[in-house]
Amino acid sequence: MDVNTMTYASQDLWTWWLAVYLYTGGLGAATLSVTFLTDMYLKPHRNLVLWGAGAGVVLLSLGSMMLFGHLLHHLAAIHVLNPLVFILKPDAWIAWGTQFIIWMMVWGVLYALPYARETPLLRRLPLVGKVLDWGLVVKISGAVQRFRKFVGWLAVVNGVGVAVYTGLLLQSFPAVALWANPGVPLLFTVSAFSTALAFLLLIMYTVIKDAADEKIRVLYERIDLVLISAELVILFSFFFYLKRGSESAMRSWELLFTDFGWLIGFIGFGLIVPFFLELKGVVKGWTSHVPIITASVLVLMGGYLLRHYFMYAGVYAYPW
Amino acid sequence: MAWSLPRLSRRTFLKTTGYGTAGLGLLSPLPSLVNQALATDEEVKEEVSYSICNFCSSLCNIRVTTHTQGGDKRIVKLDGNPHSTLNRGKICARGQAGLRQTYDSDRIKTPLIRVEGSRRGEYKFRQATWEEAWDYIAKRQAAAGIKPWEWTMVGGWTSCVFYMNWAVPFAMANQVPNIVASPMQHCVTTGHLGTDLVTGNFNIHDEVLPDFDHAKYILLVGNNASIGAVSTCRMVRFAQGRKNGAKIVALDPRCSETAAKADEWIQLRPGTDLAFMLALMRTLMQEGLYDADFLRRHTNMPFLLARDEQGEWRQVTDDQGRPLVVEEDSTRLRTLNKFSNLNHKDVEGNTFSPGLRVPDDFQMEGRPVRTVFQAQLEELEPYTADWAAEITGIPVATIARIAREFGTTRPAIVDPGWHGARFGNVMMLRRVQAMVQALTGGLDAVGGWMNSGELHHKAHQMFQAMDRGYEMGAPLANLAGMAFAKMVIGAVSQGENFSHGHPGWSWAWSAQEKAAGRFNVALPVMTDTGLRESVEGKLQFQGEPYLTRAFIINAANPVRHYYPDSYWKETLSHPNVELVVMVEVLPSDTTPYADVILPNTTYLERNEPTLYGNGVNHDLALTTRYAAIDPLYDTEETADILLKLTGIISGNRDGFLDWVEKLTGLKAAPVRAAHAELQKTQQKGAFAAACRQVSFAQTAARLGTTPEAIDAVLRDKGIYAEEGKDQILAHWGMPRQMPVPTDSGRVEFYSPMLRGLRDAGHSAPNFSVLATWIAPEYHEGQPATAPLAADEFYFSYGKTPTVSHGSTNSNNPVLAGINHFKRDIYQGVWIHPERAAKLLIRDGDAIRLINTRSGQETGGKAHVTRLVQRDTLFIYSAFGVENPALSRTQGEGTATNKLIPYQVEPVVAGFRSQEFTIKVAKA
Amino acid sequence: MTHYAMVIDLNTCVGCNACMAACALENQSPVWDEHKWRTYVHDKEIGVGSDVHRRFFPRLCNHCDNPPCMSVCPTGATYKKANGIVMVNPDWCMGCGACALACPYHARIPITYGDVAQGREFYGSDYRRSSPSMDKCSFCDHRVEKGLKPACVETCVGSSRQFGNLDDPNDPVTRMVASGVARPLMPHIGTRPNVFYIDDLKWRG
Ligand SMILES: Nc1nc2c(c(=O)[nH]1)N[C@H]1C(S)=C(S)[C@@H](COP(=O)(O)OP(=O)(O)OC[C@H]3O[C@@H](n4cnc5c(=O)[nH]c(N)nc54)[C@H](O)[C@@H]3O)O[C@H]1N2
Ligand SMILES: Nc1nc2c(c(=O)[nH]1)N[C@H]1C(S)=C(S)[C@@H](COP(=O)(O)OP(=O)(O)OC[C@H]3O[C@@H](n4cnc5c(=O)[nH]c(N)nc54)[C@H](O)[C@@H]3O)O[C@H]1N2
Ligand code: SF4
Ligand code: SF4
Ligand code: SF4
Ligand code: SF4
Ligand code: SF4
Ligand SMILES: [Mo]
Repeated sequence: MDVNTMTYASQDLWTWWLAVYLYTGGLGAATLSVTFLTDMYLKPHRNLVLWGAGAGVVLLSLGSMMLFGHLLHHLAAIHVLNPLVFILKPDAWIAWGTQFIIWMMVWGVLYALPYARETPLLRRLPLVGKVLDWGLVVKISGAVQRFRKFVGWLAVVNGVGVAVYTGLLLQSFPAVALWANPGVPLLFTVSAFSTALAFLLLIMYTVIKDAADEKIRVLYERIDLVLISAELVILFSFFFYLKRGSESAMRSWELLFTDFGWLIGFIGFGLIVPFFLELKGVVKGWTSHVPIITASVLVLMGGYLLRHYFMYAGVYAYPW
Repeated sequence: MAWSLPRLSRRTFLKTTGYGTAGLGLLSPLPSLVNQALATDEEVKEEVSYSICNFCSSLCNIRVTTHTQGGDKRIVKLDGNPHSTLNRGKICARGQAGLRQTYDSDRIKTPLIRVEGSRRGEYKFRQATWEEAWDYIAKRQAAAGIKPWEWTMVGGWTSCVFYMNWAVPFAMANQVPNIVASPMQHCVTTGHLGTDLVTGNFNIHDEVLPDFDHAKYILLVGNNASIGAVSTCRMVRFAQGRKNGAKIVALDPRCSETAAKADEWIQLRPGTDLAFMLALMRTLMQEGLYDADFLRRHTNMPFLLARDEQGEWRQVTDDQGRPLVVEEDSTRLRTLNKFSNLNHKDVEGNTFSPGLRVPDDFQMEGRPVRTVFQAQLEELEPYTADWAAEITGIPVATIARIAREFGTTRPAIVDPGWHGARFGNVMMLRRVQAMVQALTGGLDAVGGWMNSGELHHKAHQMFQAMDRGYEMGAPLANLAGMAFAKMVIGAVSQGENFSHGHPGWSWAWSAQEKAAGRFNVALPVMTDTGLRESVEGKLQFQGEPYLTRAFIINAANPVRHYYPDSYWKETLSHPNVELVVMVEVLPSDTTPYADVILPNTTYLERNEPTLYGNGVNHDLALTTRYAAIDPLYDTEETADILLKLTGIISGNRDGFLDWVEKLTGLKAAPVRAAHAELQKTQQKGAFAAACRQVSFAQTAARLGTTPEAIDAVLRDKGIYAEEGKDQILAHWGMPRQMPVPTDSGRVEFYSPMLRGLRDAGHSAPNFSVLATWIAPEYHEGQPATAPLAADEFYFSYGKTPTVSHGSTNSNNPVLAGINHFKRDIYQGVWIHPERAAKLLIRDGDAIRLINTRSGQETGGKAHVTRLVQRDTLFIYSAFGVENPALSRTQGEGTATNKLIPYQVEPVVAGFRSQEFTIKVAKA
Repeated sequence: MTHYAMVIDLNTCVGCNACMAACALENQSPVWDEHKWRTYVHDKEIGVGSDVHRRFFPRLCNHCDNPPCMSVCPTGATYKKANGIVMVNPDWCMGCGACALACPYHARIPITYGDVAQGREFYGSDYRRSSPSMDKCSFCDHRVEKGLKPACVETCVGSSRQFGNLDDPNDPVTRMVASGVARPLMPHIGTRPNVFYIDDLKWRG
């Protein structure tokens, strides 16, 4: 009704833990997708796939546990685990998301299975080693090898689905201008892939350390640079969309663009600094890995901050 | 302002961030919830019964729903009784939440005896059996040799309304002349006596219900809880009035719930309403905006007055004391009947029209003579709108406009509010309000003030008896209005009424002070004035100390409800006091001062010992309570407790029953028989049940039906309708069909009763026979318009919609939940932002409050709001509970009794609970 | 057909909170948590400068015809009945909270394990809930089904709340809605609410 009766409030139901869910979901899924695509089309890469699948499963489990832990009624979660949920609730993104997550994990593990069977470290693990030798597992592994790309694509599609879903979820909350716009899935997807590339760069510079991967790393750096730029462009449009938007949008703008954590922490250190670090790497190259490692760490940190701030800066405009 | 909101929420967000891992803790093992049986509809047996709400004197009719399953019968819901024309099927938040009093985990569940060696006030009690409790009382009474007059009974409004028929006979049977009743000093006498002096009613609470439904103009003066916050029967009508388009104007220093529904909220300095009303009355009378015919016929406006040697107005009468009037537009004298509702018939039965004015030079026996109308108008001469504007702070144009609007819109209602005890001038204010209402002719009229069916019924019977010259009997049941008040005053003020010759100590104290030439109270009816002195041994009667050494406190919480808190704490813990017995349902701030606490059944667990009238309902009907469940704990009924105590105090149990018969008409013999019979089968409540049986039987006889038939109707509907309001008005309308219960039977502008008090030596303006101005005295000896210091404020308070008084139901879990939800508004100290800013006080700040007059100090939290007059502080008077045994409310808010000193006005010892200023500082 | 709706006349809502108490007891709300009411009444100071008003603003689920809370609900616990009432099935609800974020009217409250345990103690043998869930106003569907009015409407001492059937053209509620005196909150969001308010500021002119 009357304007001067409006109340503006952010929510305190979905807080940091949901930001973690969105973050690890996007990061894990994108990591898995990138590594599988790399493996399928650039160069078969056992380590990368294992890392990708592993990260996918671990990060998504972590994120899902966050959500699961905060459910009011854990047993009833059975209703979203049921694959038929698509038919029952095709309009609910969490239903899609949950299924994407489950199937991405399933196809991801399957895709990685043949590699896992070839990995001495895994074979030496007590329980895992045994399982890898089970007859059924061996058979499945064979089948996966035969339909490698098919399985890979199933995983990738689900992975991309997860990444996009994290944005769509927020987009489905109509009262909050910051969330309910098509920029959000885009932003979250770009951010998911950017963080995934950063994560993989980090792994490749610190754990895998294979000189033969130089081409991949350069490619990743270049793509990441593009993604960071894209993210900056999207944020630039968010800046104006929010600043001259509805009351809800303007108040979100107030919250975000007057906050040092957002401005300096996320945009400064999470995007601009890594952008220049990577730009220099791509254009002139660095003599040490440290700048790229730094950039990766910053991008990863920024990825969380983005989601954290998005959760808290969502402003409801209540007419009372 | 708006920007701060998201920032606030940001804090909540970051706070949750801080809790970090707590979230994962929610992965707690799936409790065995799923396996536990849930209440399925098949197993549930639903039953409905009817009762009366017990949370305020609006006495709403309620419907009680119970569910029984697995042998457990629980009250699950209360609703307004849909058959009730009183509250029209609705009840307020307190009424809704009422069932949680019965289930309150903090309830008093067994008799409690103060632990040996502890002091009163410490709240150290041990559980006891009833036998132990009775034994304890008997031993203390015997050991201390407490005399009848050394006992004092203290009752709250519920004991007053529901148990007067036992409490007063109890006092008489035990020869106890002392009763303190908590509604009296706060609202009933202080506030209402003013109105009642004019209209003859006594106690607006249950006698007048304005017909808001049909009013076109409603002027609300200092009322809120009596309408919108909430007296349901008033609020439902008020809402309809508003929907029907009535114009509503509210005078209140703060925007109350009711003022929020007004078309105009008029802010004024607390305590200055009288100035506004006098200016309004002056306008009406000067500009002819009154119902002249009504005044001529039914009021004492045409009566003749003359000043005596001392300049005092006195009525001009014939030698038999009969009032004289003149015929309209002539100087021909006529004599009227002393008691009548009609002025247009003289003593000889000739019809004429009495005049409201006599010529300016009219004289009798050499003295100038005026009509009451003229004398009153003269008195009002200085009270112009300009004059009132300066005192009240209301713009002069507003005062003038509202006076004219009110005078020219019909039907109009001025609604006086109930809780009157704020300023020494409130009784006069209420008188003026009643006079203004009478000027419109809006008494017992559509869209005006309307008396209850019950009052009409009683008055009718009383007048019939007067007319036919027979003795009424059963005065508690049959006396209406001022006649009732006078009976009560007569009973306790005169020692002759008691075998020991002692009047009530409040009367003895007034007499002692009067003799000493000090301030004294004319009619200390059921007040606490003199109590302290009596306890401390400072009161003498016939050369002997008149001590108070024992108390029975039933359903009252004087420590919280009287001022200041120390008065009753110190009185009850005085070493002279040998025994304090309390009857309660919950721990209060007074229970720590008891020696024995006797647990009462709650209202939903009991059948009442009698049939009641239907409160303030315009319709005449009967109702009562039906127990919805068996008592949960080891509790007892009030009537039985009083009977048992009579056995202990005086042994005069038979006398008790006889007094009940004498005062209420409930026959002793059948009660005795029924009691003997019922005792064989029921351990508790047998006496109450016996009274109920007889009450049903007697009522059935009166109505020409059977007790079973009444019972059947009441079980089915909760209401036994006798007569509708239209019929009642047509036959018993007061004063149009029947006299009003004043001295003269007329509506009294000039007050013969105050004339009597003046003649008895009370000369303060409070006793003025005509309407006049009495200034509020914020500072001792300074005019009301004296400026305030920068940190100084006037004080005001009022009731919360969700709590009764300062009562134990702030502990009700549902109400406490709401109070917490609205904590800032309900529990904060309202202060205007302009003034707060100057004192650097921000919303939510802790502040100190210091009474400039008494030095009392207490704390609170600032609620900075424009909804309060700039120079006034406001608090809701419901909070400030100290007893930790009230676990949900203790320690919350600011208590009025920490700020208000002992200050009373001279007519009935009404509190002057806002007549001071408060200094505010950041804590 | 029936299409239930509520009209709330702000002109006669007196801020008494009877509706809150009635609703809580009728629907066994967790009254021990001051933030968990199916319906609550804001007490707001509005207006500029000295032109100040006190407005009471009762709030509850709007039973939207296009309820975002329902579309986001992954379990199907939130559903809409043919009579227009938006319900939550506590057995299906896992309490993810998406509906609460989706609701533009702040109408949903979480009932936790702790609340259920306390509820069992507080409401005793009559307690009807067996598992936690998101909760909200049900328009007292269980009463409405029996031909009764919702608890809050029944007791509203200001007759501010009125309940009716929009499919009945003669229902006073329908008329107030059709005439435009009673208006929904934030219709631009596209929720198509079925709770309508009559403004109280107009009255004062
Ligand atoms: N602080 C403060 N003081 C006030 C007021 C206020 O608003 N605030 N209002 C003033 C006014 S206008 C009035 S009328 C008086 C009213 O004062 P009281 O008549 O004393 O009113 P209550 O507080 O309703 O009830 C007093 C006690 O009765 C107990 N009680 C409730 N039900 C039962 C029952 O069934 N049996 C028994 N035995 N006890 C029961 C309650 O637990 C409570 O302790 O207070 C006056 N004093
Ligand atoms: N919620 C609730 N309702 C109740 C009761 C209850 O305990 N709780 N008790 C019942 C009983 S016994 C009583 S006596 C009535 C009391 O009914 P009321 O007398 O109507 O109620 P209060 O809340 O005491 O005060 C009414 C208003 O007076 C204002 N006020 C204070 N000082 C002044 C002044 O100097 N001038 C003017 N014009 N206004 C002033 C206050 O701000 C407040 O809004 O309520 C009845 N109804
Ligand atoms: S107004 Fe409320 S508290 Fe008073 S009797 Fe009615 S329901 Fe009870
Ligand atoms: S019960 Fe009615 S009048 Fe009271 S707060 Fe609720 S909506 Fe307003
Ligand atoms: S909390 Fe329950 S009702 Fe709400 S969206 Fe989740 S599952 Fe659906
Ligand atoms: S008000 Fe909120 S909870 Fe209710 S139906 Fe609409 S969106 Fe859903
Ligand atoms: S309709 Fe029923 S559930 Fe909804 S607010 Fe009213 S009482 Fe509560
Ligand atoms: Mo009162």
